Parts: sequence; structure tokens; C-alpha cells
Amino acid sequence: MTIPEFQPPAPILRLVKVLAGLGAATLAAGLFLAPERAWMNLLLAAFYLIGLCLAGVLFIAIQYVSGAGWYVAFRRVPEAMAGALPVAALPVLLVLVASASIYPWAHAGGEHGGAAFWFKDVWLSPLFFVVRALIYLVVWIAFATAILRTSRSQDSDGDLSHTRRNVRLSAAFLVVFGITFWLASYDWLMSLEPEWYSTVFGVYQFSGVILSGLAMITILAVWLYRLGPLRGFLTAEHLHDLGKLLFAFSTFWMYIWFCQFMLIWYADIPEETSHFITRLAGFWQPVFWLNILLNWAVPFLVLLHIPAKRSPGMLLKISWVILVGRWVDLYLMIAPPFVGENPVFGVWEVGIAAGAAGLFFLAVFRTLRHAPVVPVGDPYLEESLSYHN
Amino acid sequence: MSRRTLVTVFDHEDDILGATRAIREAGFRIADVYAPYAVHGLDKAMGLQPSKLPWVCFVLGLVGAALKVWFEFWTTAQDWPINVGGKPWNSLPAFVPVTFEVMVLFAGVSTVFAFFLVSRLWPGKRAVLADPHVTDDRFILIIDQSDAAFDPVKVERLLEPYHVVRVEEREESGEGGAG
Repeated sequence: MTIPEFQPPAPILRLVKVLAGLGAATLAAGLFLAPERAWMNLLLAAFYLIGLCLAGVLFIAIQYVSGAGWYVAFRRVPEAMAGALPVAALPVLLVLVASASIYPWAHAGGEHGGAAFWFKDVWLSPLFFVVRALIYLVVWIAFATAILRTSRSQDSDGDLSHTRRNVRLSAAFLVVFGITFWLASYDWLMSLEPEWYSTVFGVYQFSGVILSGLAMITILAVWLYRLGPLRGFLTAEHLHDLGKLLFAFSTFWMYIWFCQFMLIWYADIPEETSHFITRLAGFWQPVFWLNILLNWAVPFLVLLHIPAKRSPGMLLKISWVILVGRWVDLYLMIAPPFVGENPVFGVWEVGIAAGAAGLFFLAVFRTLRHAPVVPVGDPYLEESLSYHN
Repeated sequence: MSRRTLVTVFDHEDDILGATRAIREAGFRIADVYAPYAVHGLDKAMGLQPSKLPWVCFVLGLVGAALKVWFEFWTTAQDWPINVGGKPWNSLPAFVPVTFEVMVLFAGVSTVFAFFLVSRLWPGKRAVLADPHVTDDRFILIIDQSDAAFDPVKVERLLEPYHVVRVEEREESGEGGAG
């Protein structure tokens, strides 16, 4: 079996490099011209990227632990996303450096409406915040690197022991991820409004991360099929199952979103409702509804139909809708404390988002070239190529 | 109306899939196929049209959701308005969980009943089996012989690679029977 090597087409590679450069330039200019907007978009891009890369590890880990074989033909795609994790950690490091200007609890000098609770004061102290973030990043990168290395060493000998080792690593990662990511979403996003709290926030972030990650896996897999390397490996059955997962996690996102919204609406406690009152006022309201439309209503209605789940063109469109929806979701979470009563959208939003996309694809293209595009040594590969729904 | 059928029995999933596909592609009419469990890909091998049940499921799910919203509106806002925590009587977010449950219940149960209806199954119906073994370890393909194009020699040759366990000709009257 000969595996064609992945070679990104020159125009795409050039475009991606231009986007990354554009993003860096926008960020640099923004720091002088509109620091608030630049920090806000940097945080958005950082959380978006780290989420996409984590979703790659998460996807692989779930498949290993559940003993799945269907996904092996395109496993190098989530692996490439997982391999981009160190690159995605760079914007997070920038956020840490700038945390004093980003987070109200850090620059208000303890005067953020008075200390509500001693534990919050300890938890949200600048040094502890940075140390925690570094621990999360190191742990995630260590797991991703170990899982990737094991998967790649299987290419040469096809030994089952590599699969067993990755099952153990994956099980450990899932537990560690559950705790660290939950804390990271509290630290990096929820603390933007230090008075506000929502217990389900970590699960809500998880649902967005896995949904956007699945959309990105689908896009990259279809691209690799169209460019050649996955031709003969990626079948309509794989697309069908990816479509089912997109459908399911889109609905899961809506479910968790509503869990958070309804309990806060029902209990009607002022310190909890403040979050939604800001986001339902003025021109934030259309963004609020747009979020639900992009992340759930459109994917749900389109993916109900079996032929849509098996059509590469339709899956690509829906995946892009979900990825835009993820941006809107994060924007709605992050922007109100920065920009106040009405949403703003301009050169800083576009430029930094484009830069994040450029950085991500550069890193993914690079990791895709580190190993054959199909894990040739995996004992489950045969099953993945011949199964049907 | 009586009809003649050829009942062919197989031992393996792969054989029934291959035989069904070969018979259909040769242009013979398949009366039905029986298997002890759901064989993946059999619908494609038989050339069946996509099922219309999803549409029943979708429409009745919507009907269930609509009925439930109307009922909750009627009970909480019209017939016996209750003040809950000072919220408006017609508070849509509070209706969502129950609406969701009722939608799933309506869609699920009515799909099962629609399936029973189209397959003419009901409690107490006497089972008519082509062979008792289809509930255990055998797969059965029934070919319609009333077709003018039917050619026993050709059928035999087509089925040769698929390890036929037994072949039997049957004549039935009325609907039902083995088919």
C-alpha cells in the first residue's frame, strides 16, 4: 500500500501565510491603536484555537477508549490538529502576558465590586492564574505528544501493543482533560465577569469545543480527499458517521446552552441574570439569536436528512456554518465586558480571526507532513476501509 | 390469486447479500428476503426505496410539539393562570423541556405504530414463516416465479457461488403466505 504524501497546493499555502502575517500585523497595530479590541480578539482567537486542537486529541482519545475502528482511515486529520497544540498555545501565552490588561479582577486591584468571597480572591490572584494556565498547557501538550508518537511508531511495525498503550494514555487524558479544561474555561472566559458564575459553564465550553473540532475534522478530511491523499481511503460511510456526530453534538450544544439559560432564567437571581440581560439588550439580541441559528438550527435541520450527511459538499458547508457559529458563540461570551452596550465588528475582529485561521492551517499542514496521511500500521485500518452503516 | 415462488435457503450473511444482489441484477423479481437479524446492506442489495418512516417521524414530532405548546399555554395562561415567581403567565422557556419530551414521545411511538401499520403487524397476529429457521440461523431469499422472465436454469447457475442449502418450490393462494 503506497500512501501519497500530503503537499498543500502552493496558492493555498501562500494564502495561509498571508493570513497569518495579516493577523500578526493587525494584532501589533491594534495594541497601539485600539488595545481593548486587540486584547479581546486575541483572547477569542486563543481560546478558539486551543479548543480546536484539544478537540483533535479528545476525538482520538474517545475513539481509542471506546475501541472504535471506523475512524482509522482519517485519524491523521485529528492527529494533525492535536499536533498543532504547541502552536495554539502561543496566543494563550500572549493572553497570560497581557492578563493584567484583559481581566477586570487583575487590573481593578481587588476593587472589582468588593471581594465577594475569600476563595475567589485567592483563586483569581495573578500569579496563581498564570501558574495554573501553564500547568494546563504542559499537561495537554504532553498527552498529545505521547499519543501522537505512539500512533506514528505503529506505522513501521503494526504492533498491537501501540494500540493498547494509546488506550491507556487516552483514558488518562479524558479524566485529566475533564478537570483541566473545565477549570481553564472558568479561568480564561468566565472570570471576565468575576461576579458572575455558572456551574455548567465548563460543560457548555466542552460542547462548543467538540462541535467545532468535529467540523474542522470534516473539513480537513474532505479537503485531503479532494486533493488526493485520502482518495480510496475516505468513504461515504466515514462522512455519514461524521455527519451523525456533527448532528448529535450540535443538538448537545443546544441542550447544554439551554440548561444554562433556563436555570438562570428560572431562578432569576440578579448576580446570575446579569450575564444574559447584557446579552439580550440592544443590538446584542440579534447576535444572541444568530448564535443559536448557526450552531444548532441550521445544522440540525440540514443534517436530519441522510443524503446531506453523506454528501461532501453539504458537510463542508455545514461545517463552515458551525465554525462561524463557534466564533459568534465566543464573541458573545467575551465581547460584552470589553465593548459595552452594543456589538462592534470591524478590522480588528476580521484581521485577528484571519490571523488565527492562518496560524492554525500552517501548523496543521506542517504536522500532516510529519507522517503518512493514513496510519498504515494500525490493525483497525482494514475495518475502517470496509465497514458500512 | 395464486403465485409460484422459489424459496432458497442460505447459511451465511455474505451469501444472502451476494445472492440477493445477483438475482436482482439479473432482472428477476424478489418477493422478499428473511433474516434472523438486521443484515447491513440488505436493503441496498434488494434495491429497496428509502423508507418513508423518517417523514412520519418528523411530521408527528412537530405535531406533538405544537400540541404540547398549545396545551401548556392553555393550562398556565388561559384556563387557570398561576403566578410563578412573578413571571409572565405565558413563559415560553418554562415550556421547552416538556415540549421536547412530548415531541420525542410522539415521534418515537408514532413511528413504531406507523411501522406496524405498513408491515401489517398487530398483537395476536399469527406468524407466517417461510421457514422456522429464519428466526434462528438461516437466511431465506424468495424469488417470484410468476414472472414471465423466470428461468430456473439461469437462477440455479446464478446462485451457484453462494452455497445454497436448500431450494424449494411453493405455490400459495391469497396474500400473505410465505411472502
